[in-house]
Amino acid sequence: MLKQKITRRNFMEQSTAMAAAFAAGTAGLTSLAGRAHAAREKELNILCWEGYNSAQVLDPFRSSQAAEVKAESLTNDPTMINRLRAGETSVWDLINVNNAWARKEMWPEKLIQPLDRARFEPYFEKMMPAFKPPYKWATSDDGAELLGMCQRFGPYSFVVNTDKVSRATAEDQGWDLWNDPANDGKYGILESDDWNVFVLCCIAGFDPFKVHSDDEVVKFTETAKRVFKGAKLVGDPATMNQALVSGEIDFHLTGGTYSASPARADGNANIRGITPKKGPMAGGKGGISWIEVTSLVNNPQLSPLATEFLAYVQDPTVAHVVAFAEGTFNPVAQMANPDCFKLFTKDELDSIQWDSLEEEMAASIEYDIVPDYAKLLDIMTAAKREA
Amino acid sequence: MARRGSWAIPGPGPRAALPLVLLLLVGFAAPLLAILDYSFMPPRTFSLTGEPTLENYVTIFQSTSYLSFLWSLALATVTVAVLALTCYPISYGLVRVFGRWATVLTLLFTIPLFVSENVRLYGWVLFFIKNGVLLGALKTYLGIEFDSWLFTSSATVFGMIYVYLPFMLFPMTLGIAMVPNETRDAAFDLGASRWQVFREVELPLSMPGIVIGFLLTFVLAVGAIAEAKVLGGQAIIPVTHDIEIAFTYAQNWPLGAALSVLLMLVVGALVLLVLRRFDLDTILGRR
Repeated sequence: MLKQKITRRNFMEQSTAMAAAFAAGTAGLTSLAGRAHAAREKELNILCWEGYNSAQVLDPFRSSQAAEVKAESLTNDPTMINRLRAGETSVWDLINVNNAWARKEMWPEKLIQPLDRARFEPYFEKMMPAFKPPYKWATSDDGAELLGMCQRFGPYSFVVNTDKVSRATAEDQGWDLWNDPANDGKYGILESDDWNVFVLCCIAGFDPFKVHSDDEVVKFTETAKRVFKGAKLVGDPATMNQALVSGEIDFHLTGGTYSASPARADGNANIRGITPKKGPMAGGKGGISWIEVTSLVNNPQLSPLATEFLAYVQDPTVAHVVAFAEGTFNPVAQMANPDCFKLFTKDELDSIQWDSLEEEMAASIEYDIVPDYAKLLDIMTAAKREA
Repeated sequence: MARRGSWAIPGPGPRAALPLVLLLLVGFAAPLLAILDYSFMPPRTFSLTGEPTLENYVTIFQSTSYLSFLWSLALATVTVAVLALTCYPISYGLVRVFGRWATVLTLLFTIPLFVSENVRLYGWVLFFIKNGVLLGALKTYLGIEFDSWLFTSSATVFGMIYVYLPFMLFPMTLGIAMVPNETRDAAFDLGASRWQVFREVELPLSMPGIVIGFLLTFVLAVGAIAEAKVLGGQAIIPVTHDIEIAFTYAQNWPLGAALSVLLMLVVGALVLLVLRRFDLDTILGRR
């Protein structure tokens, strides 16, 4: 109990005393936080897709630098970027998201800072030919700044069980697989809502990466309702693979090397990412691909280890570890380097569909921002809810 | 006697309570206030200091979000009802029938709590999936082939009953244990039938545990999301999932905050209604 009883008259006095005590406490915490920031030479915080947070990737770096490295993995770009927008730029040193975000959103919003071109651009020279500098997604619109480093990438359209639908049929039929009512109940939908907006546009027959007309929005709404109604399930990559292997479903959207590789690595060569041969995007392309860009966060107390880590993962051995870190398995741009490529076994190459990688990437449009994404996502969320 | 000045130092009690007050302010009240504040911010903004608006609430009332609310409330109600019917006999057995086996059974009900909910739910997926443990065994050994019932609303209900069983069972067990044997014996001695003893003695006296079990299970179940995602294959979208989508893919924190505020209001109102009907102080015998 309070020594001095709180009454209506002295309420303000007591409140002021409590507020002062609270402020003093907060000030103490702030000053502690300030001291912590000042000593960040030996700590590094990474916000990333899974893989970069694995012990296989981080432990050698931790021991070589005697550093405390924390990495948090999330499985969608918007959430990670929101964390920075909400003020966590003072927490993270590196952010690893898909290609379009660095150039089109994070750099204009000053959420990331540029890299030293002289030090990091030469790494691009050793990557696959598509990444030759100045690589579009790693540089600012005006081409003046290097905004991040590239490593993992892959085609990402849909996945089939080739025992049920052959690769050739799936590639030829493409997105029309979802326009055939006979396929209702035979497919799943990966819980990857941003990508699902893209592919629903493709199924509806128009390019996702542009502003859509009213007619297209109506078509999108109808398609979203129909596709979600016909789905057997919506779930994560593990559930999709389990459902494909067990025979619950014959194919699923969205997906590709990233989602199918764990099942393939587990001996299920019949689970295969498919890139349609035709589609509604520029040049008649039907596939969509992603390329990760890892950028320096615009942290006022950026750890000096951030740039060291970016250089560390370019090493051929580490790049191979990144490709096969826990979770999903993916091609890396550093495979162009023979020292890196020789580390991949035949089984590893099979699991990341190395045999068709080049043609699939050529048949794909690179991940981009959908200008009216918010509107389409709301429509899709409602369709999912009402299905 | 020293005059009590307007800046008198608080007594040892308030001083000792200060760390806890600060912790509650920062860790409990502040996030809730932030959610409330966000719910009045313009859609798809990330600042707490924008021009307040009711737009998010208007959006919710103009959309089909009510479906998600109804699903969440219906799933929680069904879960509570099924658990009430199944847990009471088990609790009764644990207290009055199973004797020394009660400890072993309690342990068996408790051990799964040490394993992550998601891991347990994925375990059930492997059990029920086509060609999985159950259907695979039936097919191999008996030649019978069934379609799996996974990825349906009933699979979601099953998952919720499974996950929230301990939260109904243990308060109920405690409630039944609170009924003194002497009271039951006295009722029997006075000629009450078995049914009368149950209805007029055991049930009312074990009501604190039952009501706490109801409330705990309902509040947890209305916030459930994993069961509908993993076992239900998102055949149902509960309101918690709508909130998650708003905070993640939709980048619309104000909408997610408004949905959260409405959920808190709906659940709070329902809990208050129950508490008005069953006053906890009264059933706990405090007055």
